[in-house]
Amino acid sequence: MAGIPAHLSWAIIRNNNAFLVKKRNIKKPFSTEPSNLSNLASFRFNGLIHKKTLGVEPAKEGKGFQLVWKKTRNQHKLSKLTNKTTMKAGPRRSLYKLRRFIVKNGYRKDLTKAALRRASAVLKSQRPVPAKKNRPKKTE
Amino acid sequence: MASALARPLITVYSEKNEKTGTSVHLPVVFKAPIRPDVVSFVHHQMSKNRRQPYAVNKDAGHQTSAESWGTGRAVARIPRVRGGGTHRSGQGAFGNMCRGGRMFAPTKTWRRWHRRINVNQRRFALVSSIAASGVPALVMSKGHMVHDIPELPLVVSDKVQSFNKTKQAVIFLRRIKAWTDVQKVYRSRRLRAGKGKMRNRRRVQRRGPLIIYGEDQGLKLAFRNIPGVDVCSVKKLSLLKLAPGGHVGRFIIWTESAFRALDAIYGTWSSPSSEKKDYNLPTPKMTNTDLSRLLKAEEIRKVLRTPNKRPVRAVRKLNPLRNVRAMLKLNPYAAVLKRKAILTIQKKHLDKQEFLAKKTGVPLQKTKQQVRYEQLIQKRKEAIQKSKAAKPKTAKKAKKAPAAK
Repeated sequence: MAGIPAHLSWAIIRNNNAFLVKKRNIKKPFSTEPSNLSNLASFRFNGLIHKKTLGVEPAKEGKGFQLVWKKTRNQHKLSKLTNKTTMKAGPRRSLYKLRRFIVKNGYRKDLTKAALRRASAVLKSQRPVPAKKNRPKKTE
Repeated sequence: MASALARPLITVYSEKNEKTGTSVHLPVVFKAPIRPDVVSFVHHQMSKNRRQPYAVNKDAGHQTSAESWGTGRAVARIPRVRGGGTHRSGQGAFGNMCRGGRMFAPTKTWRRWHRRINVNQRRFALVSSIAASGVPALVMSKGHMVHDIPELPLVVSDKVQSFNKTKQAVIFLRRIKAWTDVQKVYRSRRLRAGKGKMRNRRRVQRRGPLIIYGEDQGLKLAFRNIPGVDVCSVKKLSLLKLAPGGHVGRFIIWTESAFRALDAIYGTWSSPSSEKKDYNLPTPKMTNTDLSRLLKAEEIRKVLRTPNKRPVRAVRKLNPLRNVRAMLKLNPYAAVLKRKAILTIQKKHLDKQEFLAKKTGVPLQKTKQQVRYEQLIQKRKEAIQKSKAAKPKTAKKAKKAPAAK
């Protein structure tokens, strides 16, 4: 079932939805819906309107990230709509897995770069922050 | 690929969130065109209809017999209160600028508070908002927490209609996973910003799910105390409840009888409504609104001309009289003429110098280039003479040779 096509929904939602965030002096508004890879309010990145969406979230345990994607059938059965897998392996392997998933399944290939970026950002945030060296105080 | 107007089967869920065996075909209302502009307009008009008039007292500011003192008294000409013995005497009256005077354009009760909206527009808006409530993207974008509900549109067995205890209602909402939306309402409770606080509109909260029933057997009593939850009969649907704020996409929970009644109330395109006189669902302007598919469709692609991948951009016009390259583009022979001109000038210059040199007896210092040029000319002359000598002399050539130079 095609349902309501994405373009129509976008035309209805684009200026007016619960996830829209506008900030001063910034032309492009942000969007806080869960499956948005870039957090920007744009047709391509919106996590609700499309039949296929990708979401990358930090895994609950604190290591690795979780990939959330929509199933293509039965789009109106909301509780069964999303699939999740956690990628816990080291960064190189998880990113490889992520890329493979997207490209080999042809699942929103236009989002590969954005997904990889977001996953790397998540992984980076999970690394321990390097301790700052104490600078010796300059005597006047 | 099923067409956009296909009508899938919607399963009915029991009040314990299990699938009952029954399923209903999606009523055609859900395929009606979604027009947020119409909904917004109608909603705003409708919301004016509950207003209570306000106005200022009609005598306010006029309960004096003030009269202007006229000119010549070194005061402004505004009407002033008569008499004496009190502060009030001599004060300005009547004007909007005066203290105690009447306001500019005093508000009247006969202001046009209510608006009438065409019946068809009202119905269009209603139908649009019902259609929008069946689209998960739109309902979620409105902010309803519907991630875990079993299906959208959500249809529940008629048992819900006979709930009469709030406890039952809460358990039901929990089971159906609609409780998160109600929790959001709880969390959104706050004081209103602004003067509404002191005008009996102190508290504000979000809207939660709307429950539409076929027959009220206690349902209203059960659900009315749950914050955010609204309850509505199918026969009396109101846009103010279906599209609160003028925005489409409210989360609606239908009871089975309500859901089944929709086709009769609003009709299908092939059969008009049986409940409403002379009404049929609005026809959409586009049957297939999927832009990306349209743009890739063979029928459309066939009729388009080939894409112009390299558009020719306008180039600034350069004056050929001032710009050499522009001149050369128009007249390539100009290069030859120019070169000739330059060389002639150089030659003349050189000749002059030689002449002077001869006259004064000072040997001319030639630049390297000039020397090489002379050598080049010499070489050429010799080469030409050589080749001429090498060629067999025919009668024709013999004739041409003296004529040439």
